[in-house]
Amino acid sequence: MSRPSNPSDGASLLRAWLGFALLLVAHFAIGPLLSGPVTPDFLLIAVLFASVRVRPGVAAVIGFASGLLLDALAPMHFGAAAVVCTALAFAASWLKAAFFSENVFVTGLFVFAGKWLFDLALAGVSGRFQTPGLLAHLLIWSPLAALLAGVLAVVLLTMFRSLYRPATR
Amino acid sequence: MSRTARSDGRLDNGIALVCVVLSLFGLIMPRSSRDRVAASLRTTVFAPVAALQSRAAAVRAAVDTRPETLRASGQVAARLLVVQGVADENATLRQLLGLSARLESGFVPADVVPSGAFDENFTLTLNAGSRSGVQRFFPVVTGAGLVGMIEQVDVARSHAITWAHPDFRVSAMSEDGTAFGIVQPHLGRGAERWLLELRGVRFRAKLDTGAVIVSSGLGATYPRGIVIGTVMAELSTPEKWARTYLVKPSVLPSAIGPVLVLLLPGTPRDLNGVWTTIASTDSAARAVAASGDSIARAAAFDELAARRAALDSVGIDSLRLDSLLRLMPGFPRRDSMPRDTVRRDTVRRDSVLRTSRVPGDER
Repeated sequence: MSRPSNPSDGASLLRAWLGFALLLVAHFAIGPLLSGPVTPDFLLIAVLFASVRVRPGVAAVIGFASGLLLDALAPMHFGAAAVVCTALAFAASWLKAAFFSENVFVTGLFVFAGKWLFDLALAGVSGRFQTPGLLAHLLIWSPLAALLAGVLAVVLLTMFRSLYRPATR
Repeated sequence: MSRTARSDGRLDNGIALVCVVLSLFGLIMPRSSRDRVAASLRTTVFAPVAALQSRAAAVRAAVDTRPETLRASGQVAARLLVVQGVADENATLRQLLGLSARLESGFVPADVVPSGAFDENFTLTLNAGSRSGVQRFFPVVTGAGLVGMIEQVDVARSHAITWAHPDFRVSAMSEDGTAFGIVQPHLGRGAERWLLELRGVRFRAKLDTGAVIVSSGLGATYPRGIVIGTVMAELSTPEKWARTYLVKPSVLPSAIGPVLVLLLPGTPRDLNGVWTTIASTDSAARAVAASGDSIARAAAFDELAARRAALDSVGIDSLRLDSLLRLMPGFPRRDSMPRDTVRRDTVRRDSVLRTSRVPGDER
């Protein structure tokens, strides 16, 4: 999602933005239709997918904007999601060289870890440690949601290769 | 090269730091300020996403409440049926009230006692008996027309046969008095079982579809002028010298609710106009109400006036005809006949045919 240096980079960038927009729409159009403690987090997948394609600074901005969006729509702990998303996107962008080789399952594992970390960090930043059932949520439902996010990431990378895989240099 | 990489790294770190600081600032802001910022974000840059989420939530709510909505709509439908039943009953009662005002006296109001066996034996049980003055062979009517005739009388109850009963017969005529005959059940299958036949109409008396059939007053049971039904079509029968018409009853089985039992000694023998005037006036009034412009309104009033004039002339003509017939030598004075003589209205057709014809009513 950085400035394209040649036409193929431009097309790749366009596809990346399209993939991000599709996941964003899916998060807010499909998410509310599903119920239960384990729901797919399309937005976090989109942030992680976008972060591995851009510089850490841009990734931080993408994470900040996405977190701000979550905070605006659920403003009980305004700023918490923004902080966590910024940090996660920045870290993902730094770590992309280590994890984001062309292995789809490693990417799925990374999304799993990212989602779980996101839930843990969000609970910490928003100060919800006194919330009843938080431990069960973080130890049972959050890993399951992270697993679902990892599986979804693998499925997306497999089915929509051109949208979500970085172009091989 | 390494200097560029280092400066890029510092820039990235700086951007990330700014984002984190802004986020933390949002986190520590006063609650009112946070709410204002969140609201302004929701209504500006994030408005499309907020709308999308709201729509999805609405869909979810609709899906979740679907069973309750179905249940509620079922309850509403059931209540509507009850309301419709009450409205129908009100209409029937209003019609009966109008009929009572026209009859003035000589009737007993009665309710139908539910028996659930109407379809099987075509009889009704009424909650008025001999204590109320009800006697055998008294006609039973509603605001819409003829229902039947009292067959058995107890002290507080009575049983009536309806027009659908196989033994039901009534001497009938067209509203304008041009055609006479005997009305009896059609005895067809299925829905046709709920129709009537007007038999023995003279061949020259052709009736149009929709012609109103009323009781002729011949015989001692049914006074003249009670609406029986309307002509639906002509039936082809082996009797080439007479016509038979299929008649739609004016009182449908489902509409039989409160009824009036006409007490024959107190009821005028000629009720011509009691039912037909109500029907025609109502339809003309509806036409007036429905007319949207002055021309249509004027036409509707003209129609109303014409109908009234026609009804008056029919009444006068039939009166004259009766008077003339009674003056003729040898003409049986049917009104003065004892009630226990042969009742033309309720005997079988073959026996009716054997009885003397009415002078002037050539078939």
